[in-house]
Amino acid sequence: MDLPTLISILQSGLALGVLYALMAFGLAIVWTTLGIFNFAHGAFIAAGAYLAWQFGNAAAFGLGYWAGAVLAVAAMFVIGAVVQLLLVRPFERHRDIVLLTVITTLAGATIITNLLNVIWGPRMKQIEPALDGEIVFGLVHMRSQEAVMIAVVAVTLFALGWFLLRTPLGRSMRAVAQNREAAQLMGLDVRLLYALTFGLAAAVAGLAGVFIGSIRFMSPTMGDDPLQKALVVVILGGVARFTSSVYAAFAVGIIEAFSTYFVGLYWTPAVLFGLMILVLIVKPEGLFGRRQRSV
Amino acid sequence: MAAVLEARGLSKSFGGLQAVADIDFAVAEGEVLGIAGPNGSGKSTLFNILTKVPFAADRGTVLLDGRPIQGRRPHEIARLGVARTFQRESVFPSLSAIDNVLLAAEGARRGGFAACLAAAEQALDLAGFPATLHNMPAGQLPVFLRKLVMIASALALQPRVLLLDEPASSLTPQEIERIRALILKLVGAGMTILLIEHVLPLLTAVSDRLMVLDHGTLIASGRPAEVIADPAVIEAYLGRER
Ligand SMILES: Nc1ncnc2c1ncn2[C@@H]1O[C@H](COP(=O)(O)OP(=O)(O)OP(=O)(O)O)[C@@H](O)[C@H]1O
Ligand SMILES: [Mg+2]
Repeated sequence: MDLPTLISILQSGLALGVLYALMAFGLAIVWTTLGIFNFAHGAFIAAGAYLAWQFGNAAAFGLGYWAGAVLAVAAMFVIGAVVQLLLVRPFERHRDIVLLTVITTLAGATIITNLLNVIWGPRMKQIEPALDGEIVFGLVHMRSQEAVMIAVVAVTLFALGWFLLRTPLGRSMRAVAQNREAAQLMGLDVRLLYALTFGLAAAVAGLAGVFIGSIRFMSPTMGDDPLQKALVVVILGGVARFTSSVYAAFAVGIIEAFSTYFVGLYWTPAVLFGLMILVLIVKPEGLFGRRQRSV
Repeated sequence: MAAVLEARGLSKSFGGLQAVADIDFAVAEGEVLGIAGPNGSGKSTLFNILTKVPFAADRGTVLLDGRPIQGRRPHEIARLGVARTFQRESVFPSLSAIDNVLLAAEGARRGGFAACLAAAEQALDLAGFPATLHNMPAGQLPVFLRKLVMIASALALQPRVLLLDEPASSLTPQEIERIRALILKLVGAGMTILLIEHVLPLLTAVSDRLMVLDHGTLIASGRPAEVIADPAVIEAYLGRER
């Protein structure tokens, strides 16, 4: 393998990694905070992409890429909070909440996917990228859109980390995740924080959708594959810290890029899932995890 | 004197088990009401249903400064001024000690960040928590210090009434002595306290009045020395304890 090939593999691994980090964030924070697995996460990704298309694209409202992205992310926050209200809250504190919400969030995913189909039709769409062309940096050739994506995601991840660690609301979310009952005794509105957490997860999923929609074609089921990858990331990384799934996302991105080069696109999912099963067996708390459940 | 916290006809059962049965009590401003009783007599359950964390009473009324609060949600009850510690040292393990307490100050909605941070530091000082350990993750602290973090968090809510559930359990005699001094300091500052405790010398030393539960019912109440000597109380303890 020559150097340009290696660089291009690492580069596509990095691009995948940032996307996976975005997708995994929402899954991980919902899991640690509400203790459930949200199967509608993939549908959130698709909905974010379609909303951004609707707001931004010249063929629809034509507000432009960035306005479309911001409005889509804001709308996904609200949609996420509403989904939590309708599909998760009724089962709060129920003994079988994990199982019940597997069913309700799967149902939610189906409903959202069908709505996307009804509203926007099955025809392939693509979000017009923010920037055309490519940038050249020594041996690195990168599509401008990809560079924008990497930069925005990096900023977003730092902002999320800062939010969780340094702001009162972020601190409250971590507290509720670690000890629901003590949080109530400290005057924290657990129900409100659950809805906000779900909204935040959906908003970040929506942002991932915007990026995917501008580098690939969109379809109502475009979130299915990302959901699987995010699951692999969360399991590989563990959820002990916010950063665990970020590291795991980059690891998975790079492994996927190498695996695609060496064993091909077809076998890559098998490689990833094989790795995931291996980690589940030898280190069930995740590669970067401690046993404790906390953010 | 007007009661700060008053309960009337409080009851809670789990299936066929009556954990708290028709309990009435009132605690006056600045008073320490001790609560004793054998294991499983319903003491912690009483605190649970007073705070609605994690569950509410089946029946009964709770009045805070004369106003009913049992219709409020748990976080509202905390903000209104009912603070409580758990029997097990229950903290936010990956948050630092100061962040644990800061959260309570913020939860009580008393001013901006600077005011909350000051209130949190003050509460930790009051509890006697070492200033050098403020930034240590609470989960890594020894039991005694975790208890202090829990008490400081409750104090940071600036409560009307403080419910302490076995603050001395699993502590050494020296540590129990420090808890005793802390409670007396709070009493000196005018705090109203409900204290559940198995360590009887501690309980009788700080309580103005004592009530004893057995199988969820109130079997005795009054001045500590008299209650301790009550034959029904002795039988409840010796007859069935542990
Ligand atoms: N969530 C629950 N579900 C079912 N039963 C419970 C629950 N909580 C408490 N109980 C039962 O209610 C009774 C009273 O328990 P509680 O914890 O209030 O006792 P306690 O007086 O605090 O005892 P200890 O001194 O051991 O702390 C016990 O029989 C206990 O098993
Ligand atoms: Mg108890």
